[in-house]
Amino acid sequence: MMKKAIYLVAALIIFAAGANIAYDSVKSLNIARCLGCIAMEPKAVKFEEFWVEYPDHYNNKGIPPHPDWVVNASKQKVVMLFFWGPSCEPCERQWEAMKKAGLVKGSEENGSITANFSYIQLFSINAPYDDEKGEAIRIYTPKGDTGTPTTVILFEKNGTIYWYAFSGEANGEGGRPDINELINILEKAKEEKYDLQS
Amino acid sequence: MICNLNCAGCPLAYLCIPLAIGAFIALKRYRGGLQKKRLASQLSFLLISNAAFVFGATGLIYTYFYCWESPYALMACPIGVLEHAFADRSWYLLVYLAGLIGFACIIFGRAACGWACPIGFLQDLAKGRRTKSKLDSKMRLLKYAILLAIPPVCYLTEKLAYTDICPIGGLTATLPYLAMDPNGYTFTVFFIPKMINVAGFFILIFLMTRGWCRHLCPVGAMMAQFNKISLLQLKYYEKKCIKCFKCAGVCPMQINMPYDNRSGECIRCGKCIDICPTNALAFEFRW
Repeated sequence: MMKKAIYLVAALIIFAAGANIAYDSVKSLNIARCLGCIAMEPKAVKFEEFWVEYPDHYNNKGIPPHPDWVVNASKQKVVMLFFWGPSCEPCERQWEAMKKAGLVKGSEENGSITANFSYIQLFSINAPYDDEKGEAIRIYTPKGDTGTPTTVILFEKNGTIYWYAFSGEANGEGGRPDINELINILEKAKEEKYDLQS
Repeated sequence: MICNLNCAGCPLAYLCIPLAIGAFIALKRYRGGLQKKRLASQLSFLLISNAAFVFGATGLIYTYFYCWESPYALMACPIGVLEHAFADRSWYLLVYLAGLIGFACIIFGRAACGWACPIGFLQDLAKGRRTKSKLDSKMRLLKYAILLAIPPVCYLTEKLAYTDICPIGGLTATLPYLAMDPNGYTFTVFFIPKMINVAGFFILIFLMTRGWCRHLCPVGAMMAQFNKISLLQLKYYEKKCIKCFKCAGVCPMQINMPYDNRSGECIRCGKCIDICPTNALAFEFRW
């Protein structure tokens, strides 16, 4: 009897200690829908022009509730949000491809934009773990979910925020842009922002 | 109202249609007092496993195998958490996982496989053939090999290596997503291997009774050793036994019953208890 009671109490203590530090992490991981993990990637709408309101393929309608930190950053520069998740292979592949193209440097966690693209303010966000910015992914995914990777490009002109977003890897499949197209979209954002400012 | 009787496009159709079909088949197959209770338990856990559409996703972990990428998964997959612990070097996840599995299994042993696991329920419905090859005892070791291989592979590759090929993920997450939005998704390189494994899973469970649990389930391997020390025990009263071996004939795990009543393979389904004509087998909670 004593032996089983000790086992049970030990397991309970380990569980309680573990839950204390891990419950929120597991919850975040559970909320994050890693569509790459289940061998599926969402289709995207090919870039034609920047949006102001939610496009038709989004569940939401109207102007997105852009977070303040996005609004503030978009006043200064073209903003790129890269939502990724730990152990998310498509996220990692997209990051590596962006690195190879000279767009970013470093790792997903501590990455930054390269000098060639200094007009961009990059936010590389670990969606399940970043308490401050992670939830913003729901604003920019078509179904309001947390599928990673999700990439968003935004800029502000005359108080209006223009944006384009896609979920899934930037590999040119399923309507998603490949890395070269992604860079072209960023360049286009820069041109439009400069045109308006000049 | 949750149901508008229009399954086309309904996000819950993937859940309630199998549930209704499963319940219909099961009512004819589950005979005996304990089995009716077990059916009620399995149906309840199938609903609980997908209850995120009511409660939202939680930070709890299933004590059985179910995919947390499933559209309405309430809890986390124990193997997924194990993979994340090693791939992300998040060791604190291991403490949580060990505590939770340990706590549940010290009380119930491997009963979750028989009473809660939706994949176990599916296998009970499939009612695979009772075949026992000479390789059976060796093939049972495969699940331990898979469980032992997951940590080093995830650690070295820093990837969720098992998730990429997991047939349970394919069945409970990939296919529901595809069913819910057939035109909304493109397929990654892992789609074909995953579907091959799903097909293999179905072949296995129709060829062998509880074939997945017996040979390949890493969660079952995780829980098996607790059977010997758990509070819930399958007791064998030798004096009452008339050696008819009906228990061995109905055991879905094909254990050498009644002698191996404390086997790590026992999923506490209670079929042996229901069929025993002399009540020589019984569940008991013993400290």
